Amino acid sequence: MIHNIKVKKGLNIPLGGSAERLVVDMRGTERYAVKPPDVVGFIPRLAVAEGDSVAAGQPLVTDKNLPQLFLPSPVDGVVEAIVRGEKRRLTEVVVRKNRNIQNHPNNQNSQNGQRVLSAEVPVWWMIKERPFGTIAHPGHRPKGIFVSLRDTNPLAPDLDFALKGREHEFDAGCQALETLAPLHLVHAEGPHPAGNIGTQIAQISPINKGECVWTVGAQDVANIGRWMLSGVYSPERVIAVGGPAAKAPKYYRVTCGVDISRIADVQTLSPSYPCLGWQASAADTRIVSGSPLSGTQVAADGFLGMYDQQLCFIPEGDQHEFMGWLMPGLTKFSFSKTFLSGFLVKLSQLVKLDKLSIPYTFNTNLHGGRRPLMFTGGFERVFPLDIYPMQLIKACIVGDIELQEQLGIYEVEPEDFALCEFIDPSKTDIQTIIREALEVLRKEATA
Amino acid sequence: MRIKWVEQLFDKIEPTFSEGGKLGWLHSTFDAFHTFALTPKTITRSGSHIRDAVDSKRSIIVVIIALLPALLFGMWNIGYQTAMSTGAGADWHWIYMWWFGFLRMLPMIAVSYIVGLAIEFAFAQYRGHEVNEGFLATGLLIPMIVPVTTPLWQLALAVAFAVIIGKEVFGGSGMNFLNPALVARAFLFFAYPTHMSGDKVWIASTWWGNDAIAGATPMGELATGSAPSASALDMLIGTIPGSTCETSFIAIALGAMLLLFTGIASWRIMLGVFLGGGLMGLLFNAIGGNAYMELPFYYHFLMGGFAFGAVFMATDPVTAAQTNAGKWIYGLLIGVFAVLLRVCNPAYPEGMMLSILFMNCMAPLIDHCIVARNIKMRERRIGK
Repeated sequence: MIHNIKVKKGLNIPLGGSAERLVVDMRGTERYAVKPPDVVGFIPRLAVAEGDSVAAGQPLVTDKNLPQLFLPSPVDGVVEAIVRGEKRRLTEVVVRKNRNIQNHPNNQNSQNGQRVLSAEVPVWWMIKERPFGTIAHPGHRPKGIFVSLRDTNPLAPDLDFALKGREHEFDAGCQALETLAPLHLVHAEGPHPAGNIGTQIAQISPINKGECVWTVGAQDVANIGRWMLSGVYSPERVIAVGGPAAKAPKYYRVTCGVDISRIADVQTLSPSYPCLGWQASAADTRIVSGSPLSGTQVAADGFLGMYDQQLCFIPEGDQHEFMGWLMPGLTKFSFSKTFLSGFLVKLSQLVKLDKLSIPYTFNTNLHGGRRPLMFTGGFERVFPLDIYPMQLIKACIVGDIELQEQLGIYEVEPEDFALCEFIDPSKTDIQTIIREALEVLRKEATA
Repeated sequence: MRIKWVEQLFDKIEPTFSEGGKLGWLHSTFDAFHTFALTPKTITRSGSHIRDAVDSKRSIIVVIIALLPALLFGMWNIGYQTAMSTGAGADWHWIYMWWFGFLRMLPMIAVSYIVGLAIEFAFAQYRGHEVNEGFLATGLLIPMIVPVTTPLWQLALAVAFAVIIGKEVFGGSGMNFLNPALVARAFLFFAYPTHMSGDKVWIASTWWGNDAIAGATPMGELATGSAPSASALDMLIGTIPGSTCETSFIAIALGAMLLLFTGIASWRIMLGVFLGGGLMGLLFNAIGGNAYMELPFYYHFLMGGFAFGAVFMATDPVTAAQTNAGKWIYGLLIGVFAVLLRVCNPAYPEGMMLSILFMNCMAPLIDHCIVARNIKMRERRIGK
């Protein structure tokens, strides 16, 4: 079913450096990784060892709790490294592509030659479950599968553009998903977070306690479709690479889990890049995999996140500013109109001038000290769900589970609070608070 | 903008004030000055990697800028009132009037800031917190809402009471449930009533003539049953006796415009207060009976602390209702109670202060009811 919804509340952040409509093919990249920490609730158990040959679609790690769930190798190759982080937590399994290993069409999971979408197939991990954002539990009966046809995150890829040429794969993916549960394709109009799947589910069929829905990214629907059509596991995405510190923002066609070092080499600006009045060096650029509002920082020789479809290059902001709180702020962006920039924009709207475009400067500076949550009214203007954001955040801070449930914790994911976190003058890490609260609930639900 | 030598200066003395340094115990104090001079270089780690440029310091500075028209006008009005009632009216240049008022206000502001900030710093130090800038607004608000003749020692006591009992015992700015500036005002009002009301407190005497000068506020006159002697235009401009900076509707309106434009104050609360006050005024007009009841409703907006309270006090986000619907109710009821107290309670000529404090106490209850509706809606959805 296709839904057209309209969202009024929200905010489009005028972050500079949006991708030019030009796709560079990077599918020849050598190294790939799966990153278990990107998958909520996934407790990885290694299925391979360093030096093993693997085919695309073959499990690299399986889930300790639900062994039929696994994260497959995106390419044919050799396991090059198994990377562990703090407390020996498995963070990456790196595979180097090797063309001598052949990826045979996988007909294992077929009935009468027809492939069936189930937890045993390599594309299953692309289906996520709400509440909690885990991989879809094969034993659950979702009340629907939701696919957002638009990504409204700052500098996010235009999905119509990204899916051009893959329409038949997308259709095949839709057909496959429809066999699991009612499928909802959602086209949303309005400012960010209109494109967030959480916003859309809340409008169409909010999640009650005890219910669950599944969600799939639009590009992953096409990946599922490709597997359904050919049996070949070859997950690819067109990612938008941009940001204020990207040299030549454009689109890249990549295989999931791609090594970003070649893109980073091309995109990182030369050392004398002027930004907010100071000179930034190459090391002063942060690369974010996923939305700049909710993504993960990756190293310049790191890998694209499991579910991400954009890379954002942002100047690091670890610099002091002299009396920044008093300065007019001609190029500072604020949702409030407390800086001269906002004043001028509003003024230009009032006198019906052409929309003033201000070259805003963005960086990773927190822009202030952390305070108690003392300002009200802002969150409600960027939070389109029928939920009281401030009250829910406070319920999460104090750990009142009953109140969280009453206020609708099951309807949200951290990314739904990304704009609240962005505009918060108290600089609270709201997404972390929501994630931690959801983790407590998830562990209780699975215990 | 970066200023190298300031950064170098702070970098140089930072080790002394850091943990383990000679003056490590003064860490919070150092931090306050450091973040005042240089915005911190803290960066985001996760979640939203980019952040809005606004912070609590910026929000507070906007409030202070919004207070300036009322403050500057108030200073002039202090001199003007003295000049008019000593008969020196024509001899004083308006700059001299302003200067007279400035010299009157300066010690009050200084006392308020010194006492309040000293306590704030001490508490921050004790708790190991950052010093919260909220008092920069509170500390300016307090001298703006008291009579000009308030003795400085009383002011100091009131500020100390407001900061400690009104705020710090609850955990500091953001944790309090009563507006600290109004707590100070209420403390003065109940502890030293003779200095806070009557006819002799509103006009500053000159240094060369120490007698208290009589001059009634419009509300004082109404409380005694007579019609106010000042015209509506006088009240609009603010050339009437009253608390130091509350008299000029126009100056307050300028501040209100800035607060609403920048989005710092809630328009729902502000509008709600005026609607509530207006409705109550109209209701009294319909009943009639005495001079106060028959007073045109808009006089309530112009007299006393109504406008000042609506714009700068009721909108304090920490102590107001937090939900949007709650803000309407909260604002409306402040207006209603303020006018009700003015007209029907002879013991308190000004109802605004008590009305706001009362609604500060009611705000969590209002929010609770509003949020309960959302919870009910969710429960019904499961039921169906």
